[in-house]
Amino acid sequence: MTVASQVKQTLASLKGARGTLRVYSTQTREEEARSMYTDAIVVTSSIIADLESRLQTLELEEPQYKGN
Amino acid sequence: MNELTQIISKSIALFFLVWAAVRLMGKRNMSQINPFSFISYIVIAIVATLMSINLINLSTGFITLLVWAAFPIALDYLSIKSRLMHQLINGKEAVLIKHGKIMEENLMRVRMTGEDLLAQLRSKNAFNMADVEFAVMETNGTINPYFKSDKKPVTMHDLEKMSVPQAEPQTVVLDGNMLEEPLASLGLNPQWLSTELDKMGVSLENVFLGQVDSSGDLYVDLFDDAVELPQPKVKEMLYAAFEKAQADLLTFNLQTEDKNAKEMYSKNYQVLEDLLNKLRPYLLH
Repeated sequence: MTVASQVKQTLASLKGARGTLRVYSTQTREEEARSMYTDAIVVTSSIIADLESRLQTLELEEPQYKGN
Repeated sequence: MNELTQIISKSIALFFLVWAAVRLMGKRNMSQINPFSFISYIVIAIVATLMSINLINLSTGFITLLVWAAFPIALDYLSIKSRLMHQLINGKEAVLIKHGKIMEENLMRVRMTGEDLLAQLRSKNAFNMADVEFAVMETNGTINPYFKSDKKPVTMHDLEKMSVPQAEPQTVVLDGNMLEEPLASLGLNPQWLSTELDKMGVSLENVFLGQVDSSGDLYVDLFDDAVELPQPKVKEMLYAAFEKAQADLLTFNLQTEDKNAKEMYSKNYQVLEDLLNKLRPYLLH
């Protein structure tokens, strides 16, 4: 497995986690817990953005592995 | 025959009268009433009995009933309004153990023997006298011990762990029937419930009890106990997903030679570390 595809895998699981957080941020009744989940979504999104830009560089560096 | 119908009609009328009087006298549990209201209840019961079997005439009975129902109500009202009256009517609580020592004279005052005290303490899980710092007999006769600080049950505060507020769970299914009101109070509709049940692969008729916890997860208990249902583990899995992502970031950090990328990975590793610390009490409990 190339580095790019490994990063892609992590990216996918982070996106899945963000989705679950989003579900909890809407269905939780406690105001404090809800804002906690919303914060977590923001943090996760920033990590996802970082990883995506890293992925772009990786694919530029190793174009032969693009799409894996 | 005439007398019989008279007794029946009188009994029925008195039944409702006594019922109304007892309701008016308050809603306290039988075990919590003070001796005085206990006597009132008995007098009301006896007078009502005597009236319904024609042993005393109606007017005498009614006046007696009225007095014995009205006085407790009046005294209750007074005891709410005035502290002095409250003490006169209900008595004062008695301290039975102070600084870990039994107060024998107070024990005598409330007519209790050492065995009685021990038995009452045992019912409050205080088997060892040495564990009790303080104990008080309330005005209704129950004894409440206060344990020494090193014998008290552990709380989250003692463990220095952060705990999160949790709202009470709401019961949304009972005996195979959907309860619309609690469901609506959660802001959920019947479609939500049927979707969740479909996900678990059960039908509403098979559910004995369904509860929604404060984070919106549904827990169900089925009539058929042989069926094993997967319990909700979404939160644990979410936490595990974040931990996995964190470990991945560390791996990438070690693998890459690009300085900027290394920095980005280690920064986000730290960010995830903080996030995991914050989420732990919410997701794992």
